[in-house]
Amino acid sequence: MCIQKLRSIFVAALLFAPGFFAGAQAQEEIRIGAIYPLTGAAASTGLEMRHTLELAADMINNGAKGINMPLAAGGGLPNLKNAKIRLIFADHQGNPQVGATEAERLILQEKVVALIGCYFSNVTATASVVAERNGIPFLNPESSSAKLTQRKLKWFFRTTPHDDLFVHNFYEFLKDVETKKGFKSQRIAILNENTEWGVETSRIQVRLAKELGYNIVESINYPAKSTQLTSEVQRLKASNADLLMQSSYLGDAILAMKTFKEQGFAPKAILANDAGFSDTEFRRTLGKDANFVFSREVWAKDLTTQNPLIKQVNDLYAAKHNTDFNGNSARSFTGLFVLADAINRAGSTAPEAIRKALSETNIPGNQLIMPWSGVKFDAAGQNTLGRGIIVQIQDGEFVTVWPFDIATKDLIWPMPAWDKR
Amino acid sequence: MNWDILLQTLLSGILIGMVYALVAVGLSIIYGVMEIVNFAHGEFLMFGMYSSFWLFTLFALDPMLTLPLSALFLFALGALVYRFTIKRIASAPMVSQIFATFGLMILFRGVAQFLWKPDFRTVENSLVSGNVVVGGLYFGIPHLVAAVGAVLATGAVWWFINRTRLGAALEATAQDKEAAQLMGIPSHWMFALAWGLGAACAGVAGVLLSTFFPIFPEVGATFSLIAFVVVALGGFGNVTGALWAGIIVGVVEVLGGFLIGPEYKLAIVLTLFLLVIIVRPQGLMGRAE
Amino acid sequence: MTPKQRNTLIVSGMGFALVLPFIVSNPSHQNYLILVLMFAQIGVAWNILGGYVGQVSLGHVAFFGIGAYTSTVLLVSVGLSPWIGMLIGGVVAAFFGLLIGWICFRFKGHYFTMATIAVAEILQVLFTNWEGVGGAVGLYVPLDQQGWWAMVFNSKLPYYYIALGLFAVTLLANWAIEKSFLGYYFRAIKDDPEAARSLGVSLTDYKLVAIAISSFFAALGGSFYAQKELFIDPGSVLVTSLSIKMSLVTILGGIGSLFGPLVGSALLTGIEEATRQILGGSGMGIDLIIYASIIIAVAIYYPTGIIGWVKNIMRRGKKTEGGA
Repeated sequence: MCIQKLRSIFVAALLFAPGFFAGAQAQEEIRIGAIYPLTGAAASTGLEMRHTLELAADMINNGAKGINMPLAAGGGLPNLKNAKIRLIFADHQGNPQVGATEAERLILQEKVVALIGCYFSNVTATASVVAERNGIPFLNPESSSAKLTQRKLKWFFRTTPHDDLFVHNFYEFLKDVETKKGFKSQRIAILNENTEWGVETSRIQVRLAKELGYNIVESINYPAKSTQLTSEVQRLKASNADLLMQSSYLGDAILAMKTFKEQGFAPKAILANDAGFSDTEFRRTLGKDANFVFSREVWAKDLTTQNPLIKQVNDLYAAKHNTDFNGNSARSFTGLFVLADAINRAGSTAPEAIRKALSETNIPGNQLIMPWSGVKFDAAGQNTLGRGIIVQIQDGEFVTVWPFDIATKDLIWPMPAWDKR
Repeated sequence: MNWDILLQTLLSGILIGMVYALVAVGLSIIYGVMEIVNFAHGEFLMFGMYSSFWLFTLFALDPMLTLPLSALFLFALGALVYRFTIKRIASAPMVSQIFATFGLMILFRGVAQFLWKPDFRTVENSLVSGNVVVGGLYFGIPHLVAAVGAVLATGAVWWFINRTRLGAALEATAQDKEAAQLMGIPSHWMFALAWGLGAACAGVAGVLLSTFFPIFPEVGATFSLIAFVVVALGGFGNVTGALWAGIIVGVVEVLGGFLIGPEYKLAIVLTLFLLVIIVRPQGLMGRAE
Repeated sequence: MTPKQRNTLIVSGMGFALVLPFIVSNPSHQNYLILVLMFAQIGVAWNILGGYVGQVSLGHVAFFGIGAYTSTVLLVSVGLSPWIGMLIGGVVAAFFGLLIGWICFRFKGHYFTMATIAVAEILQVLFTNWEGVGGAVGLYVPLDQQGWWAMVFNSKLPYYYIALGLFAVTLLANWAIEKSFLGYYFRAIKDDPEAARSLGVSLTDYKLVAIAISSFFAALGGSFYAQKELFIDPGSVLVTSLSIKMSLVTILGGIGSLFGPLVGSALLTGIEEATRQILGGSGMGIDLIIYASIIIAVAIYYPTGIIGWVKNIMRRGKKTEGGA
């Protein structure tokens, strides 16, 4: 009996103490957990996303002059007595088990009201399950594995379009290029990295090619972080492809381009799948050798002609970090705004209220820095209004070339051979 | 099958294999003298790459010019690592040694991230860039230079060990540390020399790679596993063996990847490794026990 | 310590472990306890081969992965309960262990270690490209069925007790081996293989026995991991870093000792979690630096692990007592 008594006191103390603090904090800050790869091979990307999330939180809390975005007036969330957003970062190291552990810690110890993350699809997979079990909303701004929204989770929301849509975009683009510009791609080669993302993309690319009548002559899933990509490039050369579709992270993307040049592999076009190719470092490193590469994107700086918000936000970020936004950071940024918008509409930090508000999200495209029609989730938690664009590197800058109705420049096709530049 | 492409693949494999050999030689020397497998070896390579990168970025000194400086720096680092950590576990059981060098590996990666951020870096437009085309065969100049440089460095190490008094002393310590000690060869200095030399080899390989390979804190991991295989294949502690094994691994990796499937290239190399040590447990050129 | 004292210690330890999750009621802390037990359990499994027989394998993740994949594939494809899948996985891993042993035990010292790394890495490549088991995309354990039969729970408590049970069973097996003729032979193989051989102990046969037992238990840990995280892919259950961690917890705690892996796991997991939680968010790598410094310090100053260090102190304490 004595032990029981002790136990109940102990439990009461444990339960009461954080509960008390949570109650006290609710008025001034909304705690949101952000789980990203802050050490390990993807740490540079993780840090970039951390910086954009901090910018978004700063805009909501302290305001940003002249930027006409909802919630960017500053002073926190109006419906919650101007409560401020407080981000609590955790490092998942690219390890799904660590991601789950950190999600749990953020929810139970840090008492976050929602989670955002995790960039890596496989970490998002485990971390979101933890959120589901604990009944905490999980907003995923940048993982593109289609599987994530096929799991029938109740607490999972994703703002970015997924791989299926992106690959569809590829073929729509090719079709458009063929019908409107007269360039036909007859022999397509695929070079994707071999983790979950690359492999799933390959699957969809091959499947859709069959359905849409494109001819895949070579499909390679190379081991990520290889010491050399010569075998891969020789295979591509042997395949005589006129179009290359590639999915790579940064290190591999740089190494691949260098190997293409060195081995004289020049298809008519390289259609890259975001990630490494959209990293600022990719263009900085390769300089003019990066030119003419097409990339599927979710964001581009030159879209500012359609949407002044893009330039304003980008300028703000560039002033602080001396580099532009990119597809990854723009998505993380948007993710936090979507989450903040839902919490504000919920008018409460109760998980169920936030979840309900998220499911009722309806943000029009002109309030986003993305080229999307808006944000609206379906029953699976997938944003149905997202879309991809295709950009091309021209003179070292990404320019939007597709869809043609929002293109800022005409595309250059075919890309010149390496010795004729 | 297109013979041109096959020949091209073969030659590319030889070129990268020569660099593997140099990385492995460093690992092999350390093992040969101390019987310690250095799990932090790839990190020496990483530091070599960073030293090349910073000298290039800050002082506009080309990697080819700063190579001796980087080698010296890595030599000092290797010797210091020996002095402050390895020396204390020289006679500890194998598991403690694995544990310690594994700790060093994580430490070095952490330090690199702390000092230089996790960003990917590259040396752009160094003296060696571009490519040459000979009879329809393509060669990247950075690859050629790296391969030639690696062979020269490996040759220099061989010469040092086999043709100088200091090298002979090192070799004597490797053969029998007690006997060498009795002959007046101080083991601790020899061990420090081995670590310095081993790190310098990896560092030089890092500099040679830096002209075409992206630089980031975890870059060593990619090369470590290959280096382990090369060392075991060539025979622990055997410089010439490492050279041949490096070339074999490079060729098998590139050619095997080309013929069987790039997704399996690492598995192909590792399978070859297992097969070879089943047939010749002491490695291709190792001394039989 | 007299046997009686030791028994009291063990019984009270067990009692403490049973009530611990009621004292530590924060699920996040409970999660830490589960991780400690999980890594301790696979550490004990590793210790049977690495510690007692002295065959340092850095490819043990292969068995862990086989366990995780077997139970998950059986669950996803035919709806078999992970409890049965776990045992099947253990048996499959044991046979695979025999195969690996048959190949690798001809190698000595570092060659053995290298060969085991190679085997595990090859396995990772094969699983990454094996569409039938999800390939690189991995496998999800369905959430819709919960409870003991499905081994999926919302609360931490059942996981804690399963981890504790697995740990206890593995430890018991290890203890039984230590006490039996097997333990005697194992030590003989480790300490003096030539003498063991001359006494008629078949080195390879007993090493094979050890690797089969060791892989069986490592596989159980893998199945448990899959049920706990509900997602597996080659990048999480077949990576060499996990093999290294299995050996690290054992070496840190005390290699070749019964409770070494538990002590090591509590410490290593604690350090890992603490450094990452406090400093990991900064993205500066300071957590890695501290974690690594501790590992190096232990390797240098306490090469016999924490248990060895404590024993040393106790021995010294006794000596001074005797002197006084």
